[in-house]
Formats: sequence, C-alpha cells, structure tokens
Amino acid sequence: MIDPVAAMTPLEVIMKYPGPWLAWILPMIGALSMPLFERFGNKIRDYAAVAWGFTSVLSAASMVPWLFSGNYPGDIKLTTWITFPGGSPLEVGVLVDPLSIIICNVVAFISFLILVYSTEYMHGDKHLTRFWFFFLFFVGSMLLLVLSDNLVQTMVGWEGVGICSYGLIGYYYRDAKERWLGGPPPHKMFPPSHAGMKAFVVTGIGDVFILGSIFVIFNFAGTLNYVELIETAHHWLPQIAAVPGLLAITAIFFLGGPIGKSAQFPLHEWLPEAMAGPTSVSALIHAATMVKAGVYLVARMSPIFYLGTWEMFLPEAQVFFIVIACVGAFTCFMAASQALVSVELKKILAYSTVSQIGYMMLALGVSGMSEGAYVAGLTASVFHLTSHALFKAALFLGAGSVIHAIHTIYTFNMGGMKKYMPITFILMVIATASLAGIPPLSGFWSKDAVFIACLVANTPLSLTLLAVGAVSAAMTFFYSIRYIKLTFLGHESKHIEEMEKHGHHPHEAPKIMWVPIAILVGLVCVVGLFGLVGFFVPSLSPELFIEHLLHDMLHHMGIPLHTHHLEFPTILTAWGTSAAMLLIGGILGWLFYLSRKVDSWAFVSGNPVLKPIHTFLFNRWYMNSAYYKVFVYGLIDFSKVVFATLESMVFDKITAFVSGSTIAFGKVLHVFETKVYDPAINVGLVNVFVEGSRLLYNDLEFLIDVSLNRGVPATMTGLHNRVKKLQSGVLSYNIIYMVIIFVVLILGFGLTQMYGGI
Amino acid sequence: MAIPYSLALVLLVPLVSAPVVYYLGKQMGKKVGWVATLPLIVTLLLIFSLAADLNGGGSYSESYSWAPDAGLTFGLLADGLSFWMLITINVLCLGICVYSTTYMEHRFEEEEHHTGVPTPNSAYASYYALYLLYAVGMLGTVLTTNLIQFYLFYELMLVPSWALINNYGYGDRERIGMMYFMWTHVGAVILLAGILSSYWITGSFEIAALSGVVGSPIAGWIAFAILIGFFTKMAVFGIHIWLPYAHGEAPTPISALLSPAMIGIGAYAATRLVIIPMFPVYQTFSLVFSLWALLTMTYGGLMALAQDDIKRFLAYSSVSQMGYIFLGLASAAEYGVSGAIFHYITHGFGKCILFGVAGILMAQVGTRSIKEMGGLADRMPWTTVLCLLGFFSIAGVPPTMGFMSKFFIFSGAFSSALSGSPTQLILALVAIIMTVLTVGYSLWTVRRIFFGPLPEKLKEVKEAPWTMTVPLLVFALFSVIIGIYPKLVTDYLLPFISEALHATTAALSH
Repeated sequence: MIDPVAAMTPLEVIMKYPGPWLAWILPMIGALSMPLFERFGNKIRDYAAVAWGFTSVLSAASMVPWLFSGNYPGDIKLTTWITFPGGSPLEVGVLVDPLSIIICNVVAFISFLILVYSTEYMHGDKHLTRFWFFFLFFVGSMLLLVLSDNLVQTMVGWEGVGICSYGLIGYYYRDAKERWLGGPPPHKMFPPSHAGMKAFVVTGIGDVFILGSIFVIFNFAGTLNYVELIETAHHWLPQIAAVPGLLAITAIFFLGGPIGKSAQFPLHEWLPEAMAGPTSVSALIHAATMVKAGVYLVARMSPIFYLGTWEMFLPEAQVFFIVIACVGAFTCFMAASQALVSVELKKILAYSTVSQIGYMMLALGVSGMSEGAYVAGLTASVFHLTSHALFKAALFLGAGSVIHAIHTIYTFNMGGMKKYMPITFILMVIATASLAGIPPLSGFWSKDAVFIACLVANTPLSLTLLAVGAVSAAMTFFYSIRYIKLTFLGHESKHIEEMEKHGHHPHEAPKIMWVPIAILVGLVCVVGLFGLVGFFVPSLSPELFIEHLLHDMLHHMGIPLHTHHLEFPTILTAWGTSAAMLLIGGILGWLFYLSRKVDSWAFVSGNPVLKPIHTFLFNRWYMNSAYYKVFVYGLIDFSKVVFATLESMVFDKITAFVSGSTIAFGKVLHVFETKVYDPAINVGLVNVFVEGSRLLYNDLEFLIDVSLNRGVPATMTGLHNRVKKLQSGVLSYNIIYMVIIFVVLILGFGLTQMYGGI
Repeated sequence: MAIPYSLALVLLVPLVSAPVVYYLGKQMGKKVGWVATLPLIVTLLLIFSLAADLNGGGSYSESYSWAPDAGLTFGLLADGLSFWMLITINVLCLGICVYSTTYMEHRFEEEEHHTGVPTPNSAYASYYALYLLYAVGMLGTVLTTNLIQFYLFYELMLVPSWALINNYGYGDRERIGMMYFMWTHVGAVILLAGILSSYWITGSFEIAALSGVVGSPIAGWIAFAILIGFFTKMAVFGIHIWLPYAHGEAPTPISALLSPAMIGIGAYAATRLVIIPMFPVYQTFSLVFSLWALLTMTYGGLMALAQDDIKRFLAYSSVSQMGYIFLGLASAAEYGVSGAIFHYITHGFGKCILFGVAGILMAQVGTRSIKEMGGLADRMPWTTVLCLLGFFSIAGVPPTMGFMSKFFIFSGAFSSALSGSPTQLILALVAIIMTVLTVGYSLWTVRRIFFGPLPEKLKEVKEAPWTMTVPLLVFALFSVIIGIYPKLVTDYLLPFISEALHATTAALSH
C-alpha cells in the first residue's frame, strides 16, 4: 500500500489522488449545474448531464490500475470534519481498496449507460431538469457512500441516495392515473407520490436502527473510521461484548440499515412500489446500485465481526452473520415466490431483485459461519453483486423499452412482442438466462459462487440455507420463463390489438436505447465466458480475480485468513445443485408456459391447494397489508384517538380551566375594584388624603401647585394626549411604558461609570 | 477583535430603534418594516465580529455597574454556548422581519376585509416596534450573566410576544394570548422561586455563582424549580398544551419566531443555569428526564399526525422537536448537551422555514387546512423545495444540519445510556426508533400539500413574492452549509460544553 497522506493540504491530496474524490464530487456539481444548463436549452442540458456522468466514469476508471498493481492508496484523509474534545477527530476521507474500487466502477459505469438510455427514454418530458438533478445527485451520493472511509460520511451518502430515490420514485408527483401502480383493480393501487414516501419511510426505519448501532460503536471505539475500527477492534469489541447481549443487539441493529436499503425481509415492502418511478430509475437505483448499498456496507463491516467471531471468540459477534444469512435466504425464497404470480412486468423484476440480493446477503452471512468460508463468501457476494448489476440493469432497461412501446405495466397486456422488438427480445432473453443462472453466463458463475460459499462453510445452518437458496433458484428459472413468455412469446394481447387498430404500431426501441442494453448484455456474456475459460485457466477467472483482490485487501487489514483449497467435489456439488434446480424450474416452466401442455391458470384455480397459495403469494404474503394496517392506519387512528381523548379531554380542559378561572377571577377582581376598592381607596382614601393635606399644607400646596403641579402635569398631560392620539387601545400604552422603562434602565447603567468589561 | 461595547450595542441598537421605528411607522406605514431590519443587520454584524474571539472555547464579556448597593452588575457574556444561539436568533429575526413586510400586509388586508376598517399606520408601527423589543428580549436572555437581569429579559421576551399574539393573531386571540401569558408566566414565577432560593444560599445573583448551590440539602429542589420554569417554555409533555394554541393562532411570522427561536431558549437557559453550574445535581435527573423527553417527542409526533390545520401541525411538531432537545439535555453528557443546543439551531432554521411556508400557503392559497390543499408543487416550486428542506432539517436528513445535531443528541443519549442502566439503553433505542415518526409525518404532510393532482380551485395559485421566499432560502442555505461543514458550529459548542462540564465536576470534587 502507498503511504497514508500526511501533512498535505486538502488541495494537494485531491491533486495527488483525483479519482476517488472527483468521482463523487463532479456528479454532485453537475447536479447543481443542471438549472444553469437548462438556460442554454434542453438539448444542451441533456448532453451536459451525460457529460457529467462520464466524468465520474473516468474518475472511477482511473482507480482501476490500482486493482492490477495491488498498490492501492487505502485510506486517504482530506481534512478534519468535526473535532471531538478528548476523542479522535472525525475526518473527511476516502477509502480506496479493491472492495470500493470494484463497486464504484460498477456504479459509475452502469449509471452512465442508463444516463444515455434516459436521454431517449425520458425524451420530451417537461421537467427533465429535476430528473437530471436527482439522477446526478444520486450518482454522486452513491459513490460517496461507497468511497467514504467512515460511517458518518457513508450515512450522508446513504441518506443522499435515499433522498434521490424519494425524488425519482415520486418523479410523476402529479399522480396521473396512468402512473399508478398495483392492481389491477379491484386490488389496491398506489400513486407515485405515495410510493416515494413509502420508500423513504421504510428505508428510514432501517436507518434509525443502524444509527443506533453506530452510536454504540462510536461510544466504545471512539472512532468511526473503517480502518481504525478494524485496527482497534481487539480493543473495543470485547468491551461491548462484556455487556451481555449488547454485541448481539449492536450487530442486529447494524443490519437494520442494510436490510432496509437492500429491501430485505422485513423491510422489503417498499421496493415493489418503488417501480412507480421512470423505468430507467428503477434500473439504476432499484436494481443495479442503491439497493446494493446494503450489501456493500455489510461487506465493509464484516471484517470486524469476523475478527470478533474467529479471533476473539465472542459468540455474540457471530449473530451478525447468522442473522444476515437467515434474512438473506428467507428473503430470497419469499421474493422469488412472489415473483411467480405477479402480473406487473416491473414488479416481477423488482421481486427478482429482492430475491437476488437475498443471495448476496446469504453469501455474506455464511462467510462468517466457519473460519475458512470468509473469503469465499465475501467474494461470492461481490461477484454476484457485480454480475447481477449488469444483467438486472439490462432487464429493467429492456422492460422499459417494452413499456415505452406499448404503454402498459401489466404482462397480460403484452405478449407477442418478439415480433415487434426482436433486438430487445434477444437481449432480454440473454439477460434473463443469466438471471436464471444458465451456464456459461455471468449469473451462473456468481450464483454458483454463493452455493460454493455455503458448501465451504459446511455447517448445518449453512447447508439448510443452501437448500432454501436452491429452491429459490428453481423458482427463479420458472418465473424467468413465465415473464419472457408473457411478454414476448405467444399471441398479442387485446391491448396490443387495440393499439394496432388505432394505428399505433409497437416498434423496436431506438438505437440509443438498445445500445446501452446491448453493452450490458455483452458484458454479461464476456464475464460469463471468462468464467468458463477461468475454469481451465485460473488466472482469467473473474471469481478468482475478485477473490485474490479481497484476500489481499483483508491481508493488508491484518485479518488472519484461513483459506482452504477448493475441493473439486465441492464445485461439483454446487454445479449439481444448480443443474438440478434449473431442471426442475425448467420442466415446470416448459410445461406451464412454453409448451402450453398445462394451462397455468386453469391448473391453479382448479386446485384447492394451489389456489389459496396463489392468493397468498399474490397478496405478497399479506405482509404489505399487515404493515399498513398496523403501522400506517393503526398509527394514524391511534394518534386521532389520543388527540380526541387525552389531548382534548384532559390537557385542553386543564388549560381551559386555568384560563377560564383566571378570566373569572379577573372579573371578580374587576367587580371588587369598581364596587369596593375604587370607592373605598381611590375615592374615599384619596379624598381623606387630599382634604387632610389641604388643611395641613394649604400654603405649601400653593407653592407646589405653582411650580410642580402645574408644570409637570401639563407636560405629562401633553405627552399623554399625544400618546392617546397615536392610537387608541391598550397597546400603545404598553409600548410606550416598556420603552420608557427600558430606556431609563439602560440610561441608568449607561450613565453610571463603567468598570471592568471589554 | 471585538468592537468596544459590542454586546451592549447588540441590545441598545434595537432597543433605541424601537421607538424610532414606532414614530417612523406612524408616517411611513407598511414600509417601516424595512427600517426595522437595519438595527437587526447592525446587531448581526456586531455578533459576527466576535467570531474569532469565541472560537475554540473562548469567551467575551462586558459588565456595567447597575445597582452596586445590591451587588448587581449588568453583565453581558458571549461564549461558545451562546454564540450560535445569538446568530440563530438574530438571523431569524432579520429574515422574518423581511418576510413580515409582505405577510403583515396580507394579514392587515385580510383584517380590513373582515372588519371593514382601514388599517391605520400605527398598526404597522406598533407591530415592528414590538417586534424589535421582542428581539431584544431574546438576545438579552441569551447574553445575560446574572439572574435578576435574566429574569427581566425573560419577561421582556414574554410581554411583546403576548402583545403581538393578542393584537395581530388569529381566532380567539385574546383568550389564547392570555393563556400563553399565564402558562409562561407561571413557569417564570416558579423559576423566580428557584432563583430567589439560590440567592438565599449563595448570596449572589451571578449565574456563575450558582454552582455554590451544589451540596445544599435543597439543591435538587432549586434545580428542579428552575428547570420546570424552562420546561414550561419548552412545552414538554404535560405542560405543552398552551403551545399549539399560541403558535397556531399567533400571526405567522411571530409563530415562526416563537416556535423555534423562543421556546428553545428554555433549553439554552436550562444549560446555562442548571446543567453547567449544578452538573452533579442535574445528573441525578437524567433517567427521569430521558423518559419524559421520550414521551414528549413521541406524543408531539403522534399529535402532529392527527392535525389538519397546518400551523397546529407545525406547533405539535415543535413539541416533538423540543422532546429531542430535551433528550439531549437529559443525557447529561457533553455530546448530548451540545447536540441539544445544536438542535436548537437546526430546529430554529428548519421550523422557521416551515412556518414561513405555512404563512406563504395561508397568504397564497388562503387556507390552513391541509385537506384542502394538494398538488401545489406545480404552482409553487420554490415553496415546495423550501418545505422539503425544512422538513429534511428537522427530520435529520443530510446534507441539512439536522443530521449532525441529531447525531450529537443521540450520541450523547447512547453514551450516557451505555454507562448507565439497561433501562436507559432501552430508552435510547426506543427514542432513536421514534425518529421515524418525524420522517413519517413530514413526508406525509409534504405529499398531502404539494403532490398529487391539483384541485380545480387551486389552479390559479401563484408562487409567493421574493420577500417571502428569499429569507427562507437563506435559512435553508444556513442549514445546508452547516450540515456539510458542522465545524462552524461544533468548534464553538463542543469545546465549551466539554470544558464547562468537566470544570464543574472537577471544581466540585475538590
């Protein structure tokens, strides 16, 4: 590693290592510049957006050579962000190591392709400035998230992508009917602005958990820098573990954030609704990049818990891995099952995304289950992340092209699109094959890596979870066949015939839209081929390449690793599993959809067991409605009840009583004053006083009368009348009195001598 | 390099300007609002001139002979704790003064329409004169060094604000003004009881001498009495009921000052008068107060969900945010207390933006009912952006400074919880989970007001004039800049609080 930056000014640091800084700063500047470019015309603005996106590709790519040289800079600190008295300061910095370099290149590159695609897909939209703003700001925030060297900065990027996601899901905030999602009626439908809010709030729930965990970590470790956290782990981790249960809570709370962001159970319900945004947004944020942030963060923090489990032997540290493995496997299964029955094309892909991220989480989870599986698990998750980003982005963009062409979100309104969109069809089929894990495409190798990681971990739990993952793989192939069939094969639906009748012929997407897809699909194939070649020539295997990089990185971090040579039977078992599952899923898919030997709907609706299962799956396991019932309507109803009872009946009554009784008391006083006090004191007493004084001081009074009584009152009356003229009512008296009192007060201290001071 | 007498001038300039503004207002009418901004600009510059002296825990003070026989001096002090409080108050007063020029015109037109009587110039004159006095009250409370002086300014804050509600408010304004006056006054009287009892023990009215109370058998009671006085101001759960009324019915620019700037001074005063000088005594309250704070933040948030009137909604949200500040104070840890003051600044700017937006909606749309609004983003893009930024600030979403202030509050809450009991840890965890409520009610409200289809009758709504949006944009800019560069605040706050708390602990252990 290159020496850490010492005694350099921030500018010098950026000059020396421009890549990791400019990668996220430039798109953010670009985002802010969008309103400016709008003044030069819409076309220039769109080109500018693409150009800004390209700057981040360049910046990210400038880091790639470090991957090959193995001489990456590591933690580059720029300047102090917050100084803590008696603690190490929080610094602004970037952490450049293989993990961040790989992910940041994936993000920057895919973002750029989608930017290009969007110029056509969003063409003609009147509010594109807002779109580009959020889009570029998203790219910047995402790269900030990935590159930051401490948790706080990561959280800033984390929330930044959340805001952009909110802004882009709710992009069509006017909630025009055709933008609604869900259904078809009678099922509930949701407007985009609702979906955006839902996404932000649900991921926000995860965020508060992770923040809670960060505070615990900060309190014990005194730093939030990743490198320092790992270096000092042997110091602070046992301290947390010394409190029974605390380390487990910290681990689980930490996972809350990634679970929310990556849409894992139980915080997965926002992602299907997030499809309300423009499809290019779904491709970028809700498939390729943002939802992977959780995976990244779990991977980033995993060395700490690995050390805790396998070096310090703290049993609670392993909770981190066990929980995320179980969550991953369960989500993988659940989401795949929902994808089986969904009728919206984008939602199928969304469930599929959730399910695939489940695999990545599973791989990360099993990596901590046994000492030797760590590198394998980490590699599998990063590999699957990359490969999934490529093929899922392609799938979404393809789906976008289809939706763009025939204006419907429902698969039952599609069908036969192969005829109209042959290029999109071919690209979609290849990407889908990769998703389903058909060799030798990238998806096969990366999913295989996940299975291998489970096998390497070789604990009862990891093998059970592998079985869950395997079943999900079968379902993956099945729903892949289903949506390809429903969209592209078979007969045209009524909707398309209707369109044709009106003279709208669906046609192939323009070049500027299919080329980015083709590039992504090309990469899927290239990675897949390298996977195949790499099996014979290990130096070319992408998986081994990543493994080697991560191994190096962990080694530099001082993590003791125990890697076993991969036994051939293990590989064979993983392949066997994949093949078996492809066979099961494929046969069922072939029966139901390709050969049409069995009519799927007749089969399901006629079966007393399958029908309820179908309903159960279609209603998303009833989780969504349950959440709404409890946390949305329940909470609002509860607040209304409390408002109507405690607030209005108790507190309001108290204050009404207090103010009422004060006013009543005031009235009593008033009566007392006018009826008793005034006659007695003001009239009676004054009379007595005046009469007495007149008798006593008759002569003196004359003198006073002349000098003071006539002079001063005349002045006062004059002043008083003047004030009275200014404004009638109580207010002017108040002002004048207060001003007088305060001027006197201030003059009082002003006139007396000053001492001390200054 | 401070200008001589700068702190005295901070109070004197607006104070002397108040009658001037009043008399000018008689001649000029509504234009006098612009004159009223001048003294506030001067004070802001004076405060900024102290920046270098106060950085890193420094302090600057002035003291004048006041009543030497009673041992009273008129002292003014600016330090790391008060510096950003002063800036916040001053910037808000200045911005809202500009905002008022348009808003009050609208308000008076509305009133004219209602009563048929043309607005006299004096109405503008007394509004801005009172406004300046109100500003003096707030600035004076923050600057003061002895308890009698503190009490005077504390009441000076109350009287003009009462008069403003009473004369320019909405609805049942006289009754509500009275209610506001009573509640705060009762709080102030309890505070006075605490102050007088402390004099009985220490023989001094200096705030610095308050630490002499520690060790006395009634120290806990004194601290509690003073705190209750401030908690009434902060409207914590149980004594919060006046707030939604007062902030709901006050003229909107005044709500924008009342809600964040003034009630939060309670938190400042609690820090200055109790937490710092009587730290060991205060620590014993930590657990109970944490619970109370949690209750306040949750309850305020829940009540906000149930509101339809946008100003009452914001008022309840203030109750909830005071809960956060209270949580920071309750942690009795340096980060928590710093976070509370930091959150005062956040909430100051954030809530001021939101009340400003509410005022814009009332002026441009003509309704306060959230139900009647919708889809306004098309008609008022700037207001939408402002509203989002305001909500992001109070919900603690980066890059606004809310993220940083909540970070400190919870960091304090966790650090005291982890060194305390498991109960406290559970409280802290529940509290942080409750922050989702803020995000929830914020975005839900944004959606109901600005998104969705635009109702037919709102098709003609226009964006607010720049005099209303620009001040709010400046507040938003403050929020974002500090959010990105929190050192601007923390370099003043953290060293001061940390030193002060350690000094008290060390001094008392000897």
